[in-house]
Amino acid sequence: MPETDVSVLPEFCQKPTLVLGCGNNLFGDDGFGCEVVEYIEAHYEVPEAVCLLDVGTGVRKLLFTLCLSPARPRRLLILDAIDVGRTPGDVFEIDPSEIPAVKMDDFSMHQIPTSNLLRELQETCGVEVRVLACQTGPLPEEICPGLSAPVKSAVPQAAEWLMREYLAGTGRPPRTQLDARRNEEAVNPAACVEAGRA
Amino acid sequence: MAKTLVIQPVSRIEGHAKITIQLNDTGNVDTARVNVIELRGFEKFCLGRPVEDMPRIMPRICGVCPWSHHLASAKATDAVFGVTPPPAGAKLRELCNSIAYMEEHILHFYFLAGADFLLGPDADYSVRNVIGILKAAPDVAQRVVKVRHMAAKMLEVLAGKAIHPQAAVPGGFSKPLAPAERDQLRKMADETLDLAKFSIAFAKENVFPKYLETVKSLGVITTGFLGTVKENGALNLYDGKARLMAPDGTFEDFPYDRYTDYISEHLESWSYLKFPYAKKWGSFSMDLVKPSGIYRANTLARINVCDFIDTPLAQAELEEFRQKFGRPAQLTLLYHWARLIELLYNAENAIRLLDDPDITSTETRVKVTPRAARGVGVTEAPRGTLIHDYTTDADGMLTNANLIVGTTHNNAPINMSVTQAAKSLIHDGKYDQGVLNTVEMSIRAYDPCFSCATHRLDGKISVKVDIVDAEGNVVETLAN
Repeated sequence: MPETDVSVLPEFCQKPTLVLGCGNNLFGDDGFGCEVVEYIEAHYEVPEAVCLLDVGTGVRKLLFTLCLSPARPRRLLILDAIDVGRTPGDVFEIDPSEIPAVKMDDFSMHQIPTSNLLRELQETCGVEVRVLACQTGPLPEEICPGLSAPVKSAVPQAAEWLMREYLAGTGRPPRTQLDARRNEEAVNPAACVEAGRA
Repeated sequence: MAKTLVIQPVSRIEGHAKITIQLNDTGNVDTARVNVIELRGFEKFCLGRPVEDMPRIMPRICGVCPWSHHLASAKATDAVFGVTPPPAGAKLRELCNSIAYMEEHILHFYFLAGADFLLGPDADYSVRNVIGILKAAPDVAQRVVKVRHMAAKMLEVLAGKAIHPQAAVPGGFSKPLAPAERDQLRKMADETLDLAKFSIAFAKENVFPKYLETVKSLGVITTGFLGTVKENGALNLYDGKARLMAPDGTFEDFPYDRYTDYISEHLESWSYLKFPYAKKWGSFSMDLVKPSGIYRANTLARINVCDFIDTPLAQAELEEFRQKFGRPAQLTLLYHWARLIELLYNAENAIRLLDDPDITSTETRVKVTPRAARGVGVTEAPRGTLIHDYTTDADGMLTNANLIVGTTHNNAPINMSVTQAAKSLIHDGKYDQGVLNTVEMSIRAYDPCFSCATHRLDGKISVKVDIVDAEGNVVETLAN
């Protein structure tokens, strides 16, 4: 790629650490990622080197832009809701490289899977990608904003882990009210996804 | 024995389509259906909300087309309050629309639909990723990357942020454009125009000729068209009047708020999504030989309905297009060609707006006062005519709301194109993954928005084909 004036790049390409809250806050627990971003903005001071964004359902376009960008963050953290059959409110990490690659539908940007783009960023573009997920309760089929009680209580915990552990680079795993069980389990993200499909 | 081929994403939550192809006993295609999940509960959610909240909330509906919902919603609130934004407010909105369009169309042509042409429908899907496409066409990619980033940066400058726009407000635009910012954007706009010119030249020389036979045959149907034009019949993507064109090229224009006089909605038992149709053309039918009431929206429709384009380079391209394909042009894959003409128009339009002295005026909005009223706001989203229809009480609280998104207009045509594509490619029970990928191309041309209802990280989509016998037993599964 030729030299590019960094000033023409969006802010999310320029900072060394990028944190993206994903989801649709019109649909119950799907808004977990967005709520964590809002909580951090209200309760913490975000370091200058960190770009923190609530990207809602627009994460694919942003990841797409990152894949193409001549300048990228060194670290990317995704905050997202997931349903893999765990207890609602559980917060845990998923490694994108452990999610199996299969043919992905690509009728439009609405359908390109986030997981594919994350794998590309990690494996081809050299970005450290981590995903902090929260197990949802049942998701509404109609527009219905608002987190369920267990997911709502996971928001400050996720925010604290992000600010105290992830940004400090301690490597300690995220904790929830099921702390003891969390630390003893060996999390297999591929199995989580398969369980979620079942 | 009759079989059912199903192209079905594994996860339902991300609002995609299930394609079912029904074969008859001789192994030929009987019917094909594209079943999509609709955004539900919108009206109930809106009731009782202050209408001025809507432009702020609506971008959350779709993370890919937030600007379209934002602007249509803002226009609906203008209509509810009975106000007209000052020139600077309207032009800033239109400028954001043009830039968002460019970002969208660049992405779609080069990395979604373009992959069909650059890599071919039989390409190994492991290379149909972003970096794979970059490697396949590195010279092109370098130019595309820079301009796409510029478009995102331009929206940041104009609206304060590129994601979840909130700059359009009832009565106008919240943030004036400073002269120094305008100068910065003006340089960037020149580069976007260069890329737009390059793109259409590149496509006409290297892409379309190679696939002309496919363009002439894949997913071809005969329909009418819906789009927006200015009072003088020129193409416009932000404001104007609606034009509904019949398959024979005759048309009728109407103001946006009379859309219900022209468009009705048909229901099918197998689909949640409604099928809008032109009610003055007769009853609804998706029969390929004798369709009735069917119209299309999106790029090809807009290029067809406009009389001309009021920017010189795009107008020249339109003239060439019409010389080759006539008016209205019906070939489905021409959506891609039309998309590039729109890309060029938007680049020229952005420059025109930035050169307009009004664009740096500080009078960007007018005051609004709540009243009981109905207001319809319409813009041309990249995927088709987007309608936001609000009704409020005397306090400005919503008592009714309706939403028709661009892709909904294309629900019937998408079904027809898939049926046509499947019938032309599948005979005597013979098919393979390449054939099925080609059927998908007929959908991809429409760049459909199948609802961003929810988004889950594990909602990765796997395209799987189940061949099911008459008893419902899976006989064979194809998957990549």
